[in-house]
Amino acid sequence: MTTERVMLNDGWTCFQGANADDAAAYTATADLISILNTVDAPIVVARRDSVIVFFNKAAADVLGLSPSDIGRPFCDVSVLAGLPRLEERCSQVAASGVDSRADFRERDRWFVVRISPYTNGDRQVTGTVLTFTNVTAFRGSIDQAIYERECTKAILNTVGDPLVVLSADQRIQSGNRAFYSMFGVSRDETQGVPLYDLGGGAFELALLRTQLEEMLAGSHAFQPVEADLVLPGKGPRTLVLDARPLSFPGHSERRVLVTFQDITARKQAEAAKDLRSEAELRRSEAFLAEGQRLSVTGSFCWKVATDEITWSEQLYRIYEFEIGVPVTLERIRTRVHPGDLSVLEKMKMVGQARGGGHDFEWQYRLIMPDHSIKYLHAVAHAIRDRDGQLEYIAAVQDVTARRMSEEALAEARSELAKVARVTSLGVLTASIAHEVNQPLSGIITNASTCLRMLDADPPNVDGARETARRTIRDGNRASDVITRLRALFSKKEFTFELLDLNEVTREVIALSLSDLQRNRVALQLELAEDLPTIIGDRIQLQQVILNLLRNASDAMVDVHDRPRQLLVRTEREDGDRVRVSVRDAGVGVDPRSMNKLFDAFYTTKSDGMGIGLSVSRSIIEGHQGRLWAESNDGPGATFSFSIPSGPESVTNAAPR
Amino acid sequence: MMGKRSLVSVVDDDESVRESLPDLLREFGFAAEAFSSAEAFLASDVVSDTSCLLLDIAMPGMSGPELQQELIRRQQEIPIVFITAQGDKAVRPRLLAHGAVECLLKPFSETALLAAVNTALRMRSE
Repeated sequence: MTTERVMLNDGWTCFQGANADDAAAYTATADLISILNTVDAPIVVARRDSVIVFFNKAAADVLGLSPSDIGRPFCDVSVLAGLPRLEERCSQVAASGVDSRADFRERDRWFVVRISPYTNGDRQVTGTVLTFTNVTAFRGSIDQAIYERECTKAILNTVGDPLVVLSADQRIQSGNRAFYSMFGVSRDETQGVPLYDLGGGAFELALLRTQLEEMLAGSHAFQPVEADLVLPGKGPRTLVLDARPLSFPGHSERRVLVTFQDITARKQAEAAKDLRSEAELRRSEAFLAEGQRLSVTGSFCWKVATDEITWSEQLYRIYEFEIGVPVTLERIRTRVHPGDLSVLEKMKMVGQARGGGHDFEWQYRLIMPDHSIKYLHAVAHAIRDRDGQLEYIAAVQDVTARRMSEEALAEARSELAKVARVTSLGVLTASIAHEVNQPLSGIITNASTCLRMLDADPPNVDGARETARRTIRDGNRASDVITRLRALFSKKEFTFELLDLNEVTREVIALSLSDLQRNRVALQLELAEDLPTIIGDRIQLQQVILNLLRNASDAMVDVHDRPRQLLVRTEREDGDRVRVSVRDAGVGVDPRSMNKLFDAFYTTKSDGMGIGLSVSRSIIEGHQGRLWAESNDGPGATFSFSIPSGPESVTNAAPR
Repeated sequence: MMGKRSLVSVVDDDESVRESLPDLLREFGFAAEAFSSAEAFLASDVVSDTSCLLLDIAMPGMSGPELQQELIRRQQEIPIVFITAQGDKAVRPRLLAHGAVECLLKPFSETALLAAVNTALRMRSE
């Protein structure tokens, strides 16, 4: 047996036991080699003992085999030495007759080596054929994919929220580290397990299953689902599950990415906040109730269409209904003054006609079971509720006390009534005597004259008749005086309190404004800002100021050639006193009468009784103050009073 | 009564006094004139003829005592009987000390009035 080395068509081979004489076989072999040399993939043929007997041109070009490698075992050829266990693999292939594949890296190139049995004509396996397929380009993209996958995995594992990918049948494919850690499971034991088996079946929720199935069917919408469960080592937890579809190019199968968010802490915080706000609500309700009680203000809500009425506790107290009894219009009607019932109807009608958003303010009276009257002041705001129904929200204040004092004040505005409240009998005795003695004197004189005329001889009957008439007239005059003075005898206690004279003045002016305007008086106010408080009787001092204002206004009635200017001024005086002055532009005061101005029943007015200024002076003196008048440089006069400020007037006022 | 009747003048701002008092004085047999103010009396032509003056104390403008002073200043020494409705008896001694003949507190009786006027007239004739 000879071994011949031949080179055919740039390829090298070696034929073992070939018969050179067998020309036909040789030709066939040469043809085959020629064909093999056109194949790009390197092909190497070896005997069963791993000695190389043939390789094609590509093997020389790509792997760098040289003709001298023919007849050498693999292990002697450096490029093939990089293939681990090559000889062993080849032996296995030869023995089994089954192909084997192996990855092979040669420098920066990757090959897949296919090892196939070499069968001779007698169907005996005499060696192996190694076919090298260059997969370098392919291998690069796989590497890239692996790299990217590793990166993605690293990123996913750093995400704190658990993530899991579900297959189309909602079984767990893979999750991130947080997922396995949260549920205390391993990748292996959950692979392929239905999501619904996780967490003790906590995710077996119809809402979740339906949405996931719809998502896998193509929907993108998913409403997060909350699930409560007990997590190993963590206790009860609330998780929110969200999901989004995953699709892969070239893969028809859809998958779903599910995220889990642990909202337990947030829920607890909200619960705590709810508790807190509930406490705050209770506290503000308590404030409101107390505020309503103190201000005697109740509130209600009235749905007009259904007559559904809700009352605050204070309103029950105002109406004197037992708290909590259902409030109906009928029940309200039992309390509302008959004269004011129309207000209820009007409110209903107006509200319906106009629609919501109108504010109302009205006054009405209640008649209580003991027949006492309560005056209420209500403010209502009409709104439309969500269903478009008219609804009133109202505040109702019990203004009875205020009303009473307003009435009392109005009463006090009449000069006599005012005087009645404030004047001491001592001051008035002389005045009353004067006023009554005057007509009495006339009566006695006339009666005496009358008797004398009748006693004359002959009797002067005409004269007697005339004097008798005068007697009657004077009697009536005395009677009128008594009537006018009767009120003076009802004496009430004085009330001393801390007062701001500016405020006292403003209140009087508010009361007198219409009078002043009617008399076309131009009022000017100069109220000092730094006025100290004084101690006094508010009503009394207001009567003094009112009296001064009226006098000033009356003094200007006949003024037509200049403005009827009235200046009211408050100021701080030296020595801790406060002064109020009223300056008019009227007829002025005769300097000779100045000292009589304050005498009782001294008057320059045709309809006056002449008691205003004398009473005013006695009031001011009761406040340890003084009241005086001055002529102005220009027209008119100025009346002023000054009283001590601050607490010393208390000590002064105290009995010594 | 000698020949001419004595003139008694009344000065009072109260109208009913001015109406009633002169009638009674005439019933007594005196001549009588009434004035509503001290100024009106001073301006009249009866000052020197007046034998007795019935004078109110409190009046607008010049008061009774002021008129008294004014008459002294003018050396018209007319006996004065004050009449007052004030009802304050404390003023009486003071007025008497200042030369008044009498001080009648309204309402006064005709007896008191007549007595006072007669006293005044006696002083005048002395």
